[in-house]
Amino acid sequence: MQVDETSEPKDGATRVAADSKGPRARFEDIEIGRVLGEMDWVVTEDMIDTQCAIDADYDVWYSLRSPWNGRIAPPQISYRPPRWLLSRTYNVRGLFYRWEMENVRPIRPGVTLHVVARVCDKYVKNEREFIVYEAVATDPHNDVVFRTRRTHVLDFVERSARRAGEGIDSGIKAERI
Amino acid sequence: MPVLTRDSEVGLELPELACQFTPAHFRRADEATIHTDVEAARREGLPAPVATGPQVAALIFRQLRTCFGEGWIVGGRCELTFRRPVYVSDFCVARGTVKRREDSAEGVRLHCDVWIENASGDKVIVGSASGLVQ
Repeated sequence: MQVDETSEPKDGATRVAADSKGPRARFEDIEIGRVLGEMDWVVTEDMIDTQCAIDADYDVWYSLRSPWNGRIAPPQISYRPPRWLLSRTYNVRGLFYRWEMENVRPIRPGVTLHVVARVCDKYVKNEREFIVYEAVATDPHNDVVFRTRRTHVLDFVERSARRAGEGIDSGIKAERI
Repeated sequence: MPVLTRDSEVGLELPELACQFTPAHFRRADEATIHTDVEAARREGLPAPVATGPQVAALIFRQLRTCFGEGWIVGGRCELTFRRPVYVSDFCVARGTVKRREDSAEGVRLHCDVWIENASGDKVIVGSASGLVQ
């Protein structure tokens, strides 16, 4: 996200009320403990290529071979499935504020990962509203591959601003790398 | 060979990794997003399009892969806070230092402070990371 912790509210500022995918999630709608859902996710060779290109993160392990018998994905490819699960329940455009990640096992192409996510907290800080959610991914042996905990701020504008108008961007994203 | 080993000392500086971002880094298809479109950003209260946090943070992940090798892929941990907006034409550099050594059941783990600075020297992303070393 990138909340500017030094910013001041602007007179007349409003928070976006809706976008083309529907109304934005309101702080009071967010339910701590709510399961955001689950999904099976298979990383493909093309996804790895795309992730490396997006991040300009090229490495023999990611492109050719690794100590794990074939190429692996950059660990940060794990960003997207939990975010997709959040979007399936709450339309949060907002900005990314905090990212905790644990790489337990390598992410390998062709392996089905089962990802489960839930809301674990929400809070107000610096007059802004935050949602915290966590996810875990397991492989077909039920071994954990990665864990993550994320914090998003619902709006860049302070919570005292009324909601009005339509946003161009949406919190509901296409589920692709 | 990874940069960090069990013999690495507290205080060691991690290799810097820099990127001059451009708007082209953040384009996806023809989507108008807060990362690509001035009006989309303004409607959210942002003065200009901002970089996507994960793409900026990827500088740190590249750094950690170089520093820890296999110890980043298996057992790597990271906690990052995105403190300030990064704009789509900003220059950023990832930096870090070794802060602590931990002997645990899983092996020797080195804990580091990591951060990303912009061209003004502002720390836009700050956090900690750790990995297992041989």
